[in-house]
Amino acid sequence: MSRLTKILLVLLPGVIAIQFIKPARNISGQVSEADITKRFNVPANVEGILNTSCSDCHSNNTRYPWYANIQPMGWLLANHIKEGKAELNFSEFGNYSGRRQLSKLKAIGNSVKDGSMPLSSYTLIHRNAKLSKENKVLIIEWAARAKDSLETN
Amino acid sequence: MKTLFFGIAVAAVAFTSCSDNNTQSKESAEKSSDTTQTNMQVNNTEEKKSKLSKEVIASYLQLKNALANDNAKGAATAGKAISDAIQQMDDGSLTAEQKKVYDDVKEDIKEHGEHISGNGDKIAHQREHFDMLSEGTYDLIKAIGSDQTLYKDYCPMYNDGKGANWLSEVKEIRNPYLGKKMPTCGSVKEEIK
Repeated sequence: MSRLTKILLVLLPGVIAIQFIKPARNISGQVSEADITKRFNVPANVEGILNTSCSDCHSNNTRYPWYANIQPMGWLLANHIKEGKAELNFSEFGNYSGRRQLSKLKAIGNSVKDGSMPLSSYTLIHRNAKLSKENKVLIIEWAARAKDSLETN
Repeated sequence: MKTLFFGIAVAAVAFTSCSDNNTQSKESAEKSSDTTQTNMQVNNTEEKKSKLSKEVIASYLQLKNALANDNAKGAATAGKAISDAIQQMDDGSLTAEQKKVYDDVKEDIKEHGEHISGNGDKIAHQREHFDMLSEGTYDLIKAIGSDQTLYKDYCPMYNDGKGANWLSEVKEIRNPYLGKKMPTCGSVKEEIK
């Protein structure tokens, strides 16, 4: 037996054991009253982009990939989603103070513009979440419009 | 088999890369909340109120001056300070009107402070948050008042020409958005007493 095989054999029971520790899923299964789509005008094409590229980590409804069933991947995902939601949660958007909504909309535009969002570690696996130039413009302009609607109210 | 494990290891590194910052700042936030406990033992409400907004103003000015000097590390420290100060303000002594403004800006200022403190190597990003933080701080000070005279300054060039405001303790312009590149760009818009 090679050394690597031996090491893997030693690790195997641990790898199996952790499969039974599964984090709770982030799936509310409904659109909450505070959802951003209920407070702002979100055109269908923009909503589609948000769902594909943002909502897995920034809402109460994640579409889980198959490897979420394999630990420790499931744990890492759970942690990522927790952090993403703390930063921005479209399902709770209406519960933010007006000021905070304003900042979040501004930050959405900024982070899409400078390419810091969606995270490259996310688009590495979710290839379709990568934003095209056109989709970036759609999001940036929508966020600016939503911000203006908030400021004039 | 080998490639599968390698794949998991790579993905694990990718997914953990941005998760370390938060815990640290939470710990130190807890630590510094101890110090304000003692600050809050002042009995006179008026005195207490001005003292509390004083801390927000002091840390804001510290942040503003660090950015004007292109000092991202100093800005990070001050960002943490304003984030703490805004949370530790005692809203019990505020009028209903003041409380409304405080509730509107509290979480927002806290978050901007955290972002500024978490990005000690990205001054451009710190300035984006400073822009938003300045708006909230201005509204809060207008509502609560300030012991010291402050100036609301305006930089027309920042934000691709959309402009941005900031607050200063001195009349001459020291631009925190453009820093040492264009330190005197901007103008005084309002004197706040």
